Order: sequence, then structure tokens, then C-alpha cells
Amino acid sequence: MAVPQPTRTEAEFRDWLINRLSLYLRRPEDEIDLRVPFAEYGLDSVAALSLFGDIEDEYGFYLEPTVVWDYPTIAGLARFVASQAAQRAATGTGGGE
Amino acid sequence: MLNDTSLYPSSGHSSAADASEADPPVGAAEAEVRARVDELESRLGDPRDPENPFGHAAVLAADERAELIAEAEVMLTEFGLNAEFVPRALGGRLDRVDTLGRVLRGVFRRDASLGLGYGATSLLASVSVWAGGTDEQKRRTAELLLGGGRLAVAFHELAHGNDLVRNEFSALPQDGGYLLNGRKEVINNVERAEALVLFARTNTAPGSRSHSVLLVDKAAVPADRIGYLPRFATAGMRGCLIGGVEFTDCPLPGDAVVGTEGGGVELALRSFQLTRSCVPSMVLGNADTALRTVVGFAVDRQLYGRSVREIPHARATLTGAFLDLLVGDCMALAATRAVHVLPEEAAVIASSTKYLVPKLLGEATYEMSVVLGANFYVRQGEYGAFQKHVRDLPVATLGHSGAAACQATVIPQLPRLARRSWFSGPQAPEALFGVHDDLPPLDTDRLALVSGGDSLAASLLAAAEAAETSTDAGEYTDALRTLVRGFTGELRALREECAALAPQDRTVLADPRVYGLADRYALLLAASACLGVWRGQRDEAATPFLSEPAWLVAALRRIAGRLGHALPPIPDGCSEAVWDELLARTFDDRSFDLYDTPLGGQG
Repeated sequence: MAVPQPTRTEAEFRDWLINRLSLYLRRPEDEIDLRVPFAEYGLDSVAALSLFGDIEDEYGFYLEPTVVWDYPTIAGLARFVASQAAQRAATGTGGGE
Repeated sequence: MLNDTSLYPSSGHSSAADASEADPPVGAAEAEVRARVDELESRLGDPRDPENPFGHAAVLAADERAELIAEAEVMLTEFGLNAEFVPRALGGRLDRVDTLGRVLRGVFRRDASLGLGYGATSLLASVSVWAGGTDEQKRRTAELLLGGGRLAVAFHELAHGNDLVRNEFSALPQDGGYLLNGRKEVINNVERAEALVLFARTNTAPGSRSHSVLLVDKAAVPADRIGYLPRFATAGMRGCLIGGVEFTDCPLPGDAVVGTEGGGVELALRSFQLTRSCVPSMVLGNADTALRTVVGFAVDRQLYGRSVREIPHARATLTGAFLDLLVGDCMALAATRAVHVLPEEAAVIASSTKYLVPKLLGEATYEMSVVLGANFYVRQGEYGAFQKHVRDLPVATLGHSGAAACQATVIPQLPRLARRSWFSGPQAPEALFGVHDDLPPLDTDRLALVSGGDSLAASLLAAAEAAETSTDAGEYTDALRTLVRGFTGELRALREECAALAPQDRTVLADPRVYGLADRYALLLAASACLGVWRGQRDEAATPFLSEPAWLVAALRRIAGRLGHALPPIPDGCSEAVWDELLARTFDDRSFDLYDTPLGGQG
């Protein structure tokens, strides 16, 4: 499915998430705080789950839908997704299904 | 405690013996379900008998008094209705969610207030315990329900994200337990229930890990920390005891949490799949009685020198309503069986069903009201049951989770399903559409927050392919092909629109147009369910009406009409076949659903 890509860094995930959030929330990127929980921005439980679909779309690997609840800020989620990406790259399981 | 074998004395079921001579044999499980349905019908008795304590006259009188019929509650306890909500492994009779809807439908046909107020409320509460509770919580809950007790559910519009964030009812951790503070309002049976299932904030942080589900045994909390709010007067379900509760610094032991602390949103979204699939199945009973009442009127009443049933518009309206009930039941069947057969995909099917079926039924009853004329709003007499069922229907369906909440669950999932599953995934197994077939056991652990695939949509394409080459539908073949081509074209268009959805349109803030996508999608699932049911029944001698293509093509035309598709011409006799079936079922007192159940204990 996804074209194999070099492992992204945490910073790249962070930038990408800021961009997604700004699209979801219709707010400029510079108004989005890395440490403010998604819920405080009004992204409800179910809509937050669609972020996980975006990650799958963009990076081609599957995460549990609830990672967005367990890592509810851009900073936390970027760190987690980067660690997952690194792990998958190391074990050769990147690239999704 | 209930004992299954004592419930069905063989002497009470001469009808089963009579029927077996004419009908082909059914499986043991199906025979057992029919015995339960028949038992309930014979206990409810003839609805038209003015002396029947559970007849329409008694139900209407109780509604006027805003009471549940006390004798009916006793009768349902004797029947062991609560056992329908308790898993078989815990001593109850719940092993199939489709059957749960089918049995409860009988109570809703007679009196939805009773269906909800006596029963379904306890189900809505207990599913959290079955899906997430410890063995001890399950055992205690089973014991309570099987002993005739009640469980109330205080969740509050959970699927509305904003409500969640603003939910002020708190159960903050303290001394190894929790301290309850706050109120829950508009809660059925809250005062008379022995136990409550509460949704409460257990962490002050924002987000989806800050709420928990709690099981509160009222006898175990200090009486001075719990108070009740005055009863709410309601437009429908007037007999239900809908109130509120207020806790003040009420301590709760640590083992009251159901599932994990912070796992409330996840548990609710999983367990809701059971209730969102079976509540629509139950409320088909409301629409059944509404339609039966209006068909009775059409048959009895003379207007313009002829019976109302001879008026083409009245016939078309009633035929259409019957078709809508069949469409609704096909979808409810697929949803209630999906939790067994396709648990990983049930999230979207259940929410789409909870959105669409009540809408179809509500609109069907509105159309029927036109035929009734002034009798629509008369609250007594022969046709008085109609207005009660019309008032009860929206209360029964809104109370648990409204249409918008269900759509908000579906919308964020559509782009992913469109990309991953539509036009590429496997079709649903035949078992999804088995009207009378057994099911694998329910495994609530497999219910997923987000649907992993969409076999029901894939089945639509498979059915469309089959229709292109098969002539099983006989003279209906051309009409069927045209209809399914329309549906596959619609799914293709939906796929493109979903792929193009902007991120901000995948949230509750979505453009209203996006809710339209979810509506069209639900209609396509309904069409797929109808096709699946017909394909499964095609060779069944025992279901002559369902095995013929007339109802299918007529039902798919109703769906195509809602989608704005051009409608193909249908063979002569199509509408007549459906109308004749409707009249036959009216005269013989048989249900207007897939089960064609004999009603009123006539056996």
C-alpha cells in the first residue's frame, strides 16, 4: 500500500500533527499549542479517533485507535508515533498491512 | 430464580404442535425462541379484548394516568423478561442479540412504556457490566435482574463530545474508592432501581480517559448522601418513571468501577454497539401496532361510498409503511447479528442502524397518520393506540442516543472504510442475514471502537454482481438490476466524496452536507441487508412471502426513492403482492416483520 519511506523524526510528526490539527480546528497553525490536550480544543472523543486513521493514511502503519486518547497532545502523540515508526523500521515491519 | 424448563409448560403450546404439521421443521434453537415469543404473546393476550388487563384499552388508560400497568409488571416478572437481558452463562436467556430484539419487540408492540420502563432500561444499564465488568459484578448484576430487580442507566448523551467534556458529575478517587458528587437527570427508574450504572468523571483532566463507568449498589451507600429529583413529565412513554438523582459526597468502594478507571468512554462506545443494534429492533414493535391500527381503520371505515382500503393513495401509503418496516427489520437483523458474526465491524453498522431505522419508522408513522385523519389525534377508542405509539416512538429512540450522535460516530469512520473496504473487501458471511439461523456466541471483547472493515457494503456489490448474471428474480430481474446498479453507483460516488472530505468535516462540526453522506451510506447498508435477507430466504419454502422477489424489489424502490434515484418500472402485481400480504397479516394477526409471528396468544 504505502510507499516505503525513511523513518520520520519526532519533529516531522509534530509538524504534520500541527498541520492536521489546524485543519480539523480551522485555526492557524501558530495558535496550536503542542501541550494543550486535543479535547480542550473541542476535538471530541470520536473525532479524535479519526486522527488515527490519518496517521495510518499518511504513514502506512496501524496503531490502536485509542493512541489518540492515551497521548492526547501533539507533543505526546508525536513522540509516541516516532517511537513506533523507529521500532517498525528496526524490525522491518513498517509499511503497514 | 428462574428456571427455563418451568416457563414453557407443554400444555400451553398446542399451536406449536399444530403448526409443525404444516410447516417444515425448524432447528431446536429457533423452536425455543418461538416458544418464548408465543409464551409472551399468550400472556399479553388479545389486544382488542376490553377486559384484557393488558389490552389496548388498559394500556391507553394507564398512559392517561401516566402509570405503568402494575399487573403487567407482575406478569413480565412471571414471564422472566429480565432473563432475556442476562447472558445464559450467568443463568439468563441472553445468547443472541437478534433474539433479544425479537422478544422485546412483543412488549413494545403492546406498550413501549412497559418495554422500556420495565425492561429495556435494565438492559441498557447491564450491557456495560457484561462487556466490561468483573466476574463478581456480573454475578451480582445477574442475581439482581433474575430476582426481578432493576438497574438504571445514567450516561447522558455520551456520544456528544461536548457533553462529555462538560460532564460535571464526578466520582473522584479518594481513600481507595470514589466520592460521588453531582446530578443525573432524565433517568428512567432511577428511584426504584436497586442499582445504578453511572457514567462519571474520575479525573479532572480533559480528554477521553477521564471518565469511568461505575456500578452503584444503592443499599451499600449511605442513604443521606443520595437524593432524588422530581419526576419529569414527558410527551411519550408517559408511564415511565423518569426522574433524576443527586449525590452529595457519597463514598463508593474502589471495586465499583466497571472495567478500568478512565476506560468509561471506550467501554461505552463498545457496549453501545449492542444497544444501538437491538433498540431499533425493539421499536419495530411500536410501528407494527401503529400500522395495524391504521390498516384496521382502512378496512373498517367507509368514505366516499367505499372502504378506505379501496382508495389508491391509502393503499400505497400503507403498503409503503409495511415495506419500511421490512427494510427496518432487515437492517436491524444485520446489526443484531453483526455483533456476533462481524464484531470488528459492528461499530458503524450499529450506529447506522440506530440512526436510520427509527427515522424510517417515524416517517412511516407520519405518513400513516394522513390515512387516519382526525383519528390520528383522538386519544381513546379503537384507534387510540396509534397516537400513543407515535408519541412513544421518538422517546424510545432518542433517550438512549439520538440520530445526530449516531451519525457523529459514523462520519469519522467513512473515509477510512471507503478507502480500505468498499470495492475491495470481502462480502459478509451469509450468517449475517439468517432470519431463523443460529449464531456463534457473543464475544464483547471483539467489539471494536472503529470498524475494521465493511463487509455489509461489500455484500451490496456482490449482490449487484449476482443480479447481473442471475435470473432468480424472474420477471423482477430487470427492475432488480436497475435498482442495484443505482446503489453501486451511489456507493462509488460516496467513496469519492468521502475521500475528498476535508478534515474539519470529519468532526461534530462537520458541514451539514456531511451528515447527508452518512444518511446515504446508511440507506445503502439497508439495501444490502434487504438483498442479503432475500438471498438467504430465496429457497425457503417456510417463508413464501420473503422468498419471492416482489417485496424485495418494492423495498429497494423505497430506498432508491429516498436516495433520489430514478425508479424502474415494476411488474404488474408487485404492489398488490405486498398489499395482499399486509392485509393477510392484519386479518390473521401476524407481525409486520421478518418473523411473521402470530400475535395475541391466538395459538
